[in-house]
Amino acid sequence: MDDKIKRIYVPMTESGFYILYCLQTPQHGYGISQQVKKMTGGTVVISAGTMYGTLSKMEKDGLIRFSHEEEKRKLYQLTELGEEILAIEIKRIERVYRNIKGEHINE
Amino acid sequence: MNKTVTKFFTIADYEEEEEWLRDQHRNGWKIVKITPPCSYTFELCEPEDVIYRLDFSNKEESEEYMNMLKDFGWEYIGQCVGWLYFRKPASETKTQEEGELFSDNVSKAELVSNVITTRMVPICLIFLCCVIPNFMRFMNGEFVGTFGMILGLFFSVMFVVYVYLIIYCGTKLKRIRKRYED
Repeated sequence: MDDKIKRIYVPMTESGFYILYCLQTPQHGYGISQQVKKMTGGTVVISAGTMYGTLSKMEKDGLIRFSHEEEKRKLYQLTELGEEILAIEIKRIERVYRNIKGEHINE
Repeated sequence: MNKTVTKFFTIADYEEEEEWLRDQHRNGWKIVKITPPCSYTFELCEPEDVIYRLDFSNKEESEEYMNMLKDFGWEYIGQCVGWLYFRKPASETKTQEEGELFSDNVSKAELVSNVITTRMVPICLIFLCCVIPNFMRFMNGEFVGTFGMILGLFFSVMFVVYVYLIIYCGTKLKRIRKRYED
């Protein structure tokens, strides 16, 4: 994987993570924000400009791609690179979670 | 009934501009048109608490962008030298983020960086390559005659305006960006 992409996205912002996580199935910007709001009990709310900016950047960097259009809305989904980055992030967050629970990781 | 107000906001005062437009709407005046550089046309309306937000873009915004903002409940008002104006009734926002265009500090700081590179850099270039050389020529007495005097005075005024703009906007934009980066 491109080291530069990894440097930009690992670790990523909370909004970035949730957007990537939701795009495992095709979704449009507003749909993602609704899904994230529901998932997090309203704790994580992603605004319009942040959503648009993040999607544009992720598409440019090849993490997500255009899937199809529904009622004039563009739906996106993860690319292979996006899946890879998401997997790295999930692993990182799991490690943090286990560590704060007092676990040590022996590999 | 309409009213037109002339008010000047620099590129570093967009947050004040948002508040001012909100105040106007609270007092029963909603903005209908912004004419460059600093003319605002308002229309009499029912007083209401409406949140105003500005986005900055150096390119033509896509249909996708406009549709997405509409999905999120933002009404597009218009554009004025790179600034895009949006509004949303405060009653439709349950959380603070729903009343913002940008919900995280990274994207808030990016807007400021964007303003700095597309506005501050050209201002500094014009200052260095045009205003300073001509101001120096005037000070050295190279401008002669009535036309020369007018030209000299013009560049003197420009010199003061640019020094003010660069110091004021430069420090303020950097301060706003720092607030979001820390």
